[in-house]
Amino acid sequence: MPLDPMPKTVAVPSGWSAEMQTEYKRRRRGRNLLLLAALAGFCIIIYAIAIVKLHEYGQMW
Amino acid sequence: MSQTTLPTIALGAEASDWIALLKPRVLTLVVFTGAIGLVIAPTHINPLMACIAILCITIAAGAAGAINMWYDRDIDAIMKRTATRPIPAGRVTPDAALAYGVFLAILSVVLMALATNLVAAATLAISIAFYVFVYTVWLKRRTPQNIVIGGAAGAFPPVIGWAAATGHITLLPILLFAIIFFWTPPHFWALSLYASGDYERAGVPMLPVVKGRRHTRICIAVYTLILVPITLIPFVLGLTGRIYGLAALALGAAFVAYAWRVLYEPQDATGKSLDRDRAARAAFKYSILYLFLLFGACAVDRLI
Repeated sequence: MPLDPMPKTVAVPSGWSAEMQTEYKRRRRGRNLLLLAALAGFCIIIYAIAIVKLHEYGQMW
Repeated sequence: MSQTTLPTIALGAEASDWIALLKPRVLTLVVFTGAIGLVIAPTHINPLMACIAILCITIAAGAAGAINMWYDRDIDAIMKRTATRPIPAGRVTPDAALAYGVFLAILSVVLMALATNLVAAATLAISIAFYVFVYTVWLKRRTPQNIVIGGAAGAFPPVIGWAAATGHITLLPILLFAIIFFWTPPHFWALSLYASGDYERAGVPMLPVVKGRRHTRICIAVYTLILVPITLIPFVLGLTGRIYGLAALALGAAFVAYAWRVLYEPQDATGKSLDRDRAARAAFKYSILYLFLLFGACAVDRLI
């Protein structure tokens, strides 16, 4: 059975004007990108700490 | 429906609102003084770990700022300078801001412990707790001395930087702490001389509001006169070299001159400026430059 595809459009509350929908999507996209950057940064930092600690001390703690 | 009547909470915050909650303008000095603590420490620290330590100090200061904005949302809405902040403007809910601040505070301390050592992580945790509980919750709305004692929160970064590099705290970082501690009152009081109207409306007992402008001018001069000898102690004790000593002397003399101008600028009987607070504005600007140059000289002195 095929998986449900990702929705092509962003769901917005009903009854909003086109202007509001555009603004809503723009803000949500900005927040998502910021969150993505934060999560990616966090992963890189943890990875970097592990590499440096293991290289310099041979252990994490 | 027009853009001006959009329901801001329903639309959600801009990414920039979440950054604004961290008070990015305040972070510059925190990052700089924290980095100086790392640079002047007499040990080697992996450059990557040093960068992560500075990042942790930055996140922690931002987290404390976010929690401060959550707690002060009522008075922020009253003050013109802060009314457009994300919470009073309705772009971020108070609960979300608190959760964001607490999460970042925990994250910064855990990362610091992972990347450096427990002494640095504990000092970082204490600095956040001090800013939130001692300054924001306890002192800010109760006493005109809020800046004096609460200023200690902003004095922690060089100590944390030093601890991150060495794993312990010695006399030099404590002296750097003392320098920022005694620098904070004249710095903020110079600002409050021409921005006290906002604090008065919000009922925040800043010194000019409670004791008057004349008293504030005297306090700025007194604290500046206390600050300058303290900045010379590291040189006198041989903890820094001549470059720092000369810089401390020259920059301190200029700071005293600015404080002198604030004290004696044209004013009425209550101490209200008759010169559009020109001296106070100049002293505030110089105080920022002063700290940058003084700490910069400390780093240059150590590196040469």
